[in-house]
Amino acid sequence: MNYSSYIALIPLLPLASFAVLGLFGKKYFKNLSGIIGCLVLLTSTLLSLYAAYHYFFVDGKINGSYQTLIPLKYTWLSFSDSLSIDMGIILDPISVMMLVVVTFVSLMVHIFSLGYMKGEERFGTYYSFLSLFTFSMLGLVVASNIFQIYIFWELVGVSSYLLIGFYYDRPSAVAASKKAFIVTRFADLGFLVGILILGFQSETLDFNTLIQRLTDIHSPQLLAIASTSFLGISLLTWALTLVFIGGAGKSAMFPLHIWLPDAMEGPTPVSALIHAATMVVAGVYLVARLFPVFHINEASLHVVTWVGAVSAFLAAVIACTQTDIKRVLAYSTMSQIGYMMFALGVSGYGGENARLTDAVGQGLGYTASMFHLFTHAFFKSLLFLCAGAVIHIVHSNDMKDMGGLRKLMPITSIAFLIACLAIAGIPPFAGFFSKEEILMAAWQNHPAIYYIGLITSGITAFYMFRLYFSIFWNRTPDSQLTTPLAADRVPPSALAVGQGLPKAQHHSEGTLSMKLPLVILAIGTLLVGFIPFSKFISPDGKPFVSEMHLTFSIVPVAIATIGIFIAYRLYFRRSDRPEKLAAALGGLYNAAYRKFYIDEIYLFITKKIIFNLVGKPAAWIDRNIVDGTMNGIAWTTGRISVLIKGVQSGRVQSYALYFFGGIVVLIIVFLYLWK
Amino acid sequence: MNLSLLILLPLLTAVAIIPLKGAKPVRVISLISSSLQLLLAFALLYFYWDERSAGNTATMLFESNYAWYASLHINYHVGVDGISIAMILLTSFVVLAGVLVSWNVEKLSKEFFFLLLFLSVGAYGFFISLDLFTLFFFLEVAVIPKFLLIGIWGSGKKEYSAMKLALMLMAGSALVFVGLIGLYLNTNAGNGQHTFDILQIAQMNIPLSAQKFFFPFAFAGFGIFGALFPFHTWVPDGHSSAPTAASMFLAGISMKLGGYGCLRMATFLMPEAAHQYSWIIIVLASIAILYGAFATMMQTDLKYINAYSSVSHCGFVLLGIGMLTKTAITGAVMQMVSHGLMTALFFAGIGMIYDRTHTRQLSQLGGLLKVMPFISTVFVIAGLCSLGLPGFSGFVAEVTVFMGGWSHEGADNFYRIVTIIACASIVVTAVYILRAVGKAIMGPLASNDHSLLTDAKWNERWAAALLIIGIVAIGIAPFWLNDLVTPATETIVNKISAIVK
Amino acid sequence: MLNDFLYLMNAELLITLIIFILLFLKLSNEEWKNEGLLNFINFLLFINLAAGFFYIPNGNLFGDMFRANELLTFEKNLLNLGTLIISLQSYDWLKNHKHVPEFYMLLLSTLLGMFFMISSNNLLMFYLGLELSTIPLAALSNFDLDKRRSSEAAFKMIMSSAFSSGLLLFGISMLYGATGTLNFTGIKAHLSGNSFQVFSFILLLAGFGFKISAVPFHLWTADVYEGSPVAVTSYFSVISKGAVLFVMVPVFYNVFAPLANSWYNMIFVISVATMIIGNLFALRQQNMKRFLAFSSIAQIGFILVGLSAQSTAGSSSVIFFILIYIFSNLGAFGVISLVSAITGKENMDDYRGFYKTNPVLSWVLAISLFSLAGIPPLAGFFGKFFLLFAGAGKGNYSLIVIAALNMVVSLYYYLKVIKIMFMDANEHPIEKIKAHWQPKIAMAICVGGIIITGIASGAYNYIHSLVK
Repeated sequence: MNYSSYIALIPLLPLASFAVLGLFGKKYFKNLSGIIGCLVLLTSTLLSLYAAYHYFFVDGKINGSYQTLIPLKYTWLSFSDSLSIDMGIILDPISVMMLVVVTFVSLMVHIFSLGYMKGEERFGTYYSFLSLFTFSMLGLVVASNIFQIYIFWELVGVSSYLLIGFYYDRPSAVAASKKAFIVTRFADLGFLVGILILGFQSETLDFNTLIQRLTDIHSPQLLAIASTSFLGISLLTWALTLVFIGGAGKSAMFPLHIWLPDAMEGPTPVSALIHAATMVVAGVYLVARLFPVFHINEASLHVVTWVGAVSAFLAAVIACTQTDIKRVLAYSTMSQIGYMMFALGVSGYGGENARLTDAVGQGLGYTASMFHLFTHAFFKSLLFLCAGAVIHIVHSNDMKDMGGLRKLMPITSIAFLIACLAIAGIPPFAGFFSKEEILMAAWQNHPAIYYIGLITSGITAFYMFRLYFSIFWNRTPDSQLTTPLAADRVPPSALAVGQGLPKAQHHSEGTLSMKLPLVILAIGTLLVGFIPFSKFISPDGKPFVSEMHLTFSIVPVAIATIGIFIAYRLYFRRSDRPEKLAAALGGLYNAAYRKFYIDEIYLFITKKIIFNLVGKPAAWIDRNIVDGTMNGIAWTTGRISVLIKGVQSGRVQSYALYFFGGIVVLIIVFLYLWK
Repeated sequence: MNLSLLILLPLLTAVAIIPLKGAKPVRVISLISSSLQLLLAFALLYFYWDERSAGNTATMLFESNYAWYASLHINYHVGVDGISIAMILLTSFVVLAGVLVSWNVEKLSKEFFFLLLFLSVGAYGFFISLDLFTLFFFLEVAVIPKFLLIGIWGSGKKEYSAMKLALMLMAGSALVFVGLIGLYLNTNAGNGQHTFDILQIAQMNIPLSAQKFFFPFAFAGFGIFGALFPFHTWVPDGHSSAPTAASMFLAGISMKLGGYGCLRMATFLMPEAAHQYSWIIIVLASIAILYGAFATMMQTDLKYINAYSSVSHCGFVLLGIGMLTKTAITGAVMQMVSHGLMTALFFAGIGMIYDRTHTRQLSQLGGLLKVMPFISTVFVIAGLCSLGLPGFSGFVAEVTVFMGGWSHEGADNFYRIVTIIACASIVVTAVYILRAVGKAIMGPLASNDHSLLTDAKWNERWAAALLIIGIVAIGIAPFWLNDLVTPATETIVNKISAIVK
Repeated sequence: MLNDFLYLMNAELLITLIIFILLFLKLSNEEWKNEGLLNFINFLLFINLAAGFFYIPNGNLFGDMFRANELLTFEKNLLNLGTLIISLQSYDWLKNHKHVPEFYMLLLSTLLGMFFMISSNNLLMFYLGLELSTIPLAALSNFDLDKRRSSEAAFKMIMSSAFSSGLLLFGISMLYGATGTLNFTGIKAHLSGNSFQVFSFILLLAGFGFKISAVPFHLWTADVYEGSPVAVTSYFSVISKGAVLFVMVPVFYNVFAPLANSWYNMIFVISVATMIIGNLFALRQQNMKRFLAFSSIAQIGFILVGLSAQSTAGSSSVIFFILIYIFSNLGAFGVISLVSAITGKENMDDYRGFYKTNPVLSWVLAISLFSLAGIPPLAGFFGKFFLLFAGAGKGNYSLIVIAALNMVVSLYYYLKVIKIMFMDANEHPIEKIKAHWQPKIAMAICVGGIIITGIASGAYNYIHSLVK
């Protein structure tokens, strides 16, 4: 059957479940809401899998390259004859791939939450928010119009705001949600202006037309936008950079990353879905969507490359020092997205005139980036769900409270191990393949970036295994029950579950609904690496073959292994080595532990500068100067009326005098002056 | 259909409730009447589409024109185009919501509802007038009821605020009056006759010198109603002291009188002057947008927050009008409708909170979501709409203004930069909205006796639902509003471009 | 001849008749109960008013000294209406007064004087009418016989009016010297606009200015208004002013047309001064009567703007405004006189919380004040609008801007009274007032007039058709 008949259902079903659960969830089917949410998501997932199969294997490829299809499109708001916001669905390799990723991970999270959020009083609300997010994310990936993507961009932002602040009575959660929204909003300002420039210059908001006009060297629009410059930088560079700022904000790229670690205040499954697998890669997706245009503009592509590389490295370093396991994962997410970004940055475009023998020419980086996005979605959501399971037992996020959990929760520990190996890039796990391709692309195009990537992968391996060892080893298994309860950081459900010893052991790994997703994702992590991604996804839609060079792979794997070994030496058994090391590193360690003081800088700018130097004066001026003038006029009038009251003396003779004076004045004026 | 119904219905209701005894019948009748007004507005919309689809391309529909003061060329001339219909819809929504919200007004309830209805008479009349005198007449009709509403039923320093509002608005209409007289005396309807008729004046071209002299009067005069910087200072005091329904009317309807007047009288009838002064309007508007937003950031009283944000949001209206492009003006009208609904909802929510907690200070509020989920949700929705979230009306309107501003014919950087300034406000807005939401709605309960508070009553639920429906209807399906307004704005813009070229 | 006499002077004769009836009532030494007496007099006044609408005489008498036509009759009817309203309103005050017939005799003789003044087509006739309408007023303002303030007011009145009459007479005689005639049409023919004529005109203007209390000839107003009984005050502020304005319009428009340019400037200056000074003084008045005195001065300023128009629109707007002004101002005075007659309170602060105890009266006062402030849909809005609108016809926008701003200032003090009545709390507000039917009717007429006159354009169109 053709796409238009069902493709719209994929996003709309979650929307429906959002509406239903949001309006009636609380009253009518309190505990059913979870089931409903899962079933709806299951349907969407199956539909998108079907669509993917249909696109990739049946009718997506026409004479050797994947087409861009637009099964649906409606005009939503038209500004002028040429410019209008259309609501449409675009089908091309990346959007189809994203459909699968989003629905699948979201389904896993839905199932996991059945157990994790059990007993939560706002259970229905939670699921309606999840559905809202899923809808928005799906709408984002299928957007066929740059303004449509902005609309859903905002919507994912707000659903992330709602979910981060889900435990709204915790001040920390409120602050975190606020921070996340405002930082991304700030980035979106750039995005918006970028859209305005692109849309106005290319006289369209529709992705295909826009890309076609801005990549064709002969098109007047491209000439105009490339030739006009503002502050000495061409308008095209401005536009793309501004758009990228938007992407960087959502994808927590340096220096707009500060919201992501705090966002871990949300329920852990939410972190798995939004802040690991889907929403945070929206920035990467945006750049990929506009990649043809980025590719013809060196400058903006360089910005993408370097921002990605710096973020990858910086985040990895910070991750080594954090002790809150979710924050560690958050930084690792940031770092991995950095990989995806610079992979795009170093990619070629392919196309007719490309040297097909060369991976760069083929656009390997692009493919690799998407590939890494895909695999990362699996192992990172797996990591988060495992973390969730752990927190569920330990009632704490801090790795100091953990250790030796491997006995208590075997499945979780194995799944976690697999994920760690994947992210560390150890063959044959998923992460290995995607990361190899990225490094390969970097090596061929931009060695400096390659070395950064290499070092980062080593650090990655180190901090991931630091995490793994200190959670599941590092202590004698039975000691974990003595851990203090840090109830305030734990969802109420967990409290309900984990009270006392027998219950805790009974529920050691949570319910089946919590274990199932772990298993599925773990299997996924084992398998997805073997998908020949370049056969499906490439910048110009033409499949190509990217062969693995074993010789090339030796160095990265070796470095990763070293990282793992160091972690093993330091954290496998409880010892004072880590403290010694930290002391040895001294200032560097502290700087990393304090996240290089970036939060403090932001705080200074907002509090000291925006509030005290802009906001306060504005308010003061309004009350005292602007309004003061208004009141001043009234006051003056009153004063005058007091001053002249003497005239009304009550003495007739003076009245007569005034009377006479008036006549005299009139005579003088009108007989002599004003004739 | 006969437009005079829009005036007669509330007027007759107002008269009818005078002899009634007791609060209950008064409420009920007002409720019935305001519901009928809503129906009437929708009927108007329906007939409008009917006419248009029947191929009627007249500028104004359903005109009726009677001589009133023949010797002074004053006629009772009414008619509607898309813009007026949008405004009428807005008014009917806000009126009904306002009546519902003030269901439990016990003090002098008869007088209260009388004034509310009387105010709506002024608003409807204003929006359908096609004669400058009638326009001015209804403009002033809508002023004094506000003075009484605020002064009698208000809170805080109500007398001061009421007096300030009345005087500033009267000063506004005094300026409008001068502009109106001047415009009249410069019209020429053949053999030295003058006219007040808007459509006739639109056909003539007023001498440029006269336009340049009287446009500022008219625009500033209406601008005072529409919170034009620096004449906006009545807004915070007026809103914060007014009773809930009055704030809703004030921000939802009255401030729109200003924008509509700027458009219908100043810009439409004096296009050349509008073109020449547009840069001043744009500068003032963009100041209002950003400066209002920053001032809002510092407020601690919920009503002050919304009042200042209204200054900022109404800046978009004036900005759109100042840009003089089709898209921008359409955006301005959309913003009027959107802001009307949204801010009414906001004030309704604030009022509900205030009725229960008896405070509007952020420092004394917190965690209301726990005790009053419905009201908190209303508050959050209003906030999200105000920070321009897609799916709500605010986004649509603002984006249209941005797009119109950016694609201004005179494509030089001035318009770009101004548009960017306006865009920048979306961040500041997010800051103060989330601050308010985070403090009042989220977080721990501020005080223990708040834990006993009750959620919304039926009337409050309906009022909120009504406004939310309006907001979402525009936010999800903006095209209908766009199609409604665009033809009307086209006539205005075509006139401008025709004359300027 | 006699027929014409009876026919053309019917209004004047009717009033004279009533005066004589009252005289006989007084002379017949039997005791009349005040209530019955007042009802009877009000009935007579009603007849007098009604009669005015039946005969609409047209022609002139005494060698064109006295003329009558539809417009003049209409103006006289307006004055009759005002007088009736005032008399109804002062019921509560008069019913305990010992000298009711005298009061009405004096009142009606002033009215008679005004009629002659209105009908006059000759400076002598005009002057006679003026004096006849002025001197009894002095006696009337002394009618609170036991109050010192009242007699002081009377004294000030008589002194200053003597002063102004002197100057007026001086002006008249000089004008006679300049033109050799006292007949209006004759004067018009001989006016050339030289300084001597302008000088004499200024003296005339001062005389008019005194009567309508235009700045700077207004200073007597406040004290006299405050001292006199409320009934007399309202008579001052509405009837006598209205009468003089009725005269001013034709005199300025027809007789002094040759001096139009110079008197336009004078009127411009005087009206601006009057508006501003009147408003500034009204801002901080505490006594209700004094407050209305100054507000009425400001109103005169607006009227002069209309007068300055020198067009039919101008004259008709002035007359129309006086009609509205009768309703609005008497509406306000009605409430005040009722309150002062029953409670003796005349200060603004006494009206705190007035709405709590007397909602209806408060609304009457509020509506009247709103009308005075020119708030739609009340008649005052139309009146003011047309005045300024006509004034703008000359293209002198500065005058309009000043006037518009003054409207804002005036709004402040009107709203201040509203605020005091409706919003201020008071532990001892004025107690519930039980009014008799006579004042009620008076107020009903006023309120009805205020609401209808503007919305229904009939009255204005009628006036416009008359002045054309």
